[in-house]
Amino acid sequence: MLYIHQTYCISPQQTLLQANIDLINEPIDKKLLAIEPSYEQIPAGILRRMGKGIRMGVGAALPLIAQTGFINGIIIGSANAGMDDCIKFLNQIVQYEEGQLTPGSFVQSTSNVIAGQLGLISKNKGYNITHVHLGLAFENALIDAMMQLNANPTNSYLLGGVDEISSYHYNIETLAGTYKKESISNKQLYEADSPGCIAGEGATMFIVNADAANAVAKVTAISTLHTINIELVTQQLKIFLQKNVPEGMKIDLLISGENGDNRTLPFYTACESVLVDDTPVVRYKHIIGDYATASATGLWYACQVLQSQILPQHMFKISSTKKESRNILMYNNFKGRQHSFILISGA
Amino acid sequence: MSRIFVTGMGVISAIGNSVAENHHALKLATCGVRNELDLFPSKYAGILPFGQVQISTDTLQKKLSVTEPGVTRTTMLAMHAFEEAVKDAGISAPDLTSFDTALVGASTVGGMCLTDELYNDANTNHEGSVYTSSYDCASVCMYLQKHYKINGIVNTINTACSSSANAIMYGAMLIKNGFAKRAIVGGSDSLAKFTINGFNALHILSPDKCTPFDENRQGLNLGEGAAFLVLEKEEDINGKKVYAELSGYCNTNDAYHPSSLSEQGDGPFLSMQGALQVANLLPGQIDFINAHGTGTENNDEVESRAMIRLFDKPPAFISTKANIGHTLGAAGAIEAVYSIFSLMHQEVYPNLHFINPIPSTGLIPVQSYKKMAVQHVMSNSFGFGGNCSSLVFSKV
Repeated sequence: MLYIHQTYCISPQQTLLQANIDLINEPIDKKLLAIEPSYEQIPAGILRRMGKGIRMGVGAALPLIAQTGFINGIIIGSANAGMDDCIKFLNQIVQYEEGQLTPGSFVQSTSNVIAGQLGLISKNKGYNITHVHLGLAFENALIDAMMQLNANPTNSYLLGGVDEISSYHYNIETLAGTYKKESISNKQLYEADSPGCIAGEGATMFIVNADAANAVAKVTAISTLHTINIELVTQQLKIFLQKNVPEGMKIDLLISGENGDNRTLPFYTACESVLVDDTPVVRYKHIIGDYATASATGLWYACQVLQSQILPQHMFKISSTKKESRNILMYNNFKGRQHSFILISGA
Repeated sequence: MSRIFVTGMGVISAIGNSVAENHHALKLATCGVRNELDLFPSKYAGILPFGQVQISTDTLQKKLSVTEPGVTRTTMLAMHAFEEAVKDAGISAPDLTSFDTALVGASTVGGMCLTDELYNDANTNHEGSVYTSSYDCASVCMYLQKHYKINGIVNTINTACSSSANAIMYGAMLIKNGFAKRAIVGGSDSLAKFTINGFNALHILSPDKCTPFDENRQGLNLGEGAAFLVLEKEEDINGKKVYAELSGYCNTNDAYHPSSLSEQGDGPFLSMQGALQVANLLPGQIDFINAHGTGTENNDEVESRAMIRLFDKPPAFISTKANIGHTLGAAGAIEAVYSIFSLMHQEVYPNLHFINPIPSTGLIPVQSYKKMAVQHVMSNSFGFGGNCSSLVFSKV
């Protein structure tokens, strides 16, 4: 279990300080690109050399670290941090036929560059780790934070998920058939009945600790699974709910990672059917797109619900008749193979 | 919390394709670093020394019966070590696929060993190769998960050159926190044009065989390989053979520079100190250290200084990177296996090619094979981004 205290979300929508989640930005050129703040806390000389993913990750984390004063460690999930620099360096290798190359891009190409830069800029010598396991990179970071807090209950950690749409990564994913071939507006995403999602990106950071006082939310349980078998997913969801939802408690809301890809829709439908019939369902990938660590932003929306009890109508798949959402289940599916269930409730 | 034991090991490196071969080679002071590189065309082939695993990618593929397209050398090296470790620990097929068996891997190169294919796919010069989902670091564990039908938690960690030390630590934490009953943990990296040119651009590749902790060291040699360990908790041992206890671990950040260590070595000092605290040991109780010891100007001097800060008079220590080169994301796991050899056989191995100590520290590593009592051994792994990790293994 862990408690979420502060959050910061850079996404393709108005999720920053004065969040306005009613407004919807449409994809441009089939991509939902993040709206970036001015990054006042990143030294200008360093900011210039940062790729977008690194910039977003560091830029989302520094305000939280400053607010909190001191954190004991940095736990980041990112499938592709550093990828842009990696290909830049690769291009140098091929173009200059392994000649004398400049090492800047190479140093920034390792996936741990965000956590490393954060340690460096905030002078944090504590626990520092980067989980890169694709669609479960953020989930493993969350599990890690829970375990660190179990061993060190008085500590606070920065926990986050970051990924960017770099042009190179976009090319590789396009070749792999990840994205929709057609241009599509946010509102039509779930009616499209075609393969692929809209590419998205973002950086979402949380300050987490074991202290219930003044917390925004608590994450009570998490389970992950790799499979392409729908029955196995629903079977594991039932076990997860039996184990973690006490008698008499109900799931008030499902935050679904549905992304408009008709190849993964059956998984989402099957998981919805495990819940009680009138359980409200909200979706968020029409507004932030999909990427490996999108569930971090899903968790940010869960925090929004718990804080304000309001979500815009465009997010609802099955409307709510309830006054209040206290217990939220998140289900996410990455490319039909990586699954996660997360249970969140009001602190 | 439960004590965590190592019940199985698998390793493949430039000095051998199995645990037995690696142990034998260390005893004989074998140097697996040679002016040889035939995995891919590179202008540095035959000019710079590398620690290349002595099996071709084709042979690996046949040996492991890999038939699907798109499986990289990094993945196959991992499979080779994984299979040895699982067999060694006697994990049954149902146990391997049970929902409480975790797999935690680490890689920094992943599928980037396919430099030219990646170049084409990233710049869309053609239709897309069979490798489009094989480039990332997670591709190794994604394949292992599918191939061996792992249902428990699966993860990939990338903290540069300390990656697989953190994979070992994460696996142990999963067991202690009840997320898994057993964990198969380790790392894999293969030689790649990408890393060769990267380290070369940083001017830290040695033109000759590397000489860790020597006054005139000229840099590191890149190597490749993989290692996996099986971790189980004390309550589940039931008379099974146990190689060692993973008694301590700690991960810190040096918070100094993206690609070099601070002068006083705060990160290394804190990771070694933290690992001792978790193990509940005093510095004087460590008998032997498998140092990070890359052979670079910066690392060896800073690591020496940090060892002196913590231990005052450091215990016997070596770097095995002179034997196999720097295997990056695999280094922490391979060197964990080597550290456990010292506990199992009560012996230590020589730090190859050492002549003179670094003047400012005066530390002299073990220079010849010898029998000695080893109760607790420490293994260090440090990486870019300031990531430092130390593990402590103890004789059971």
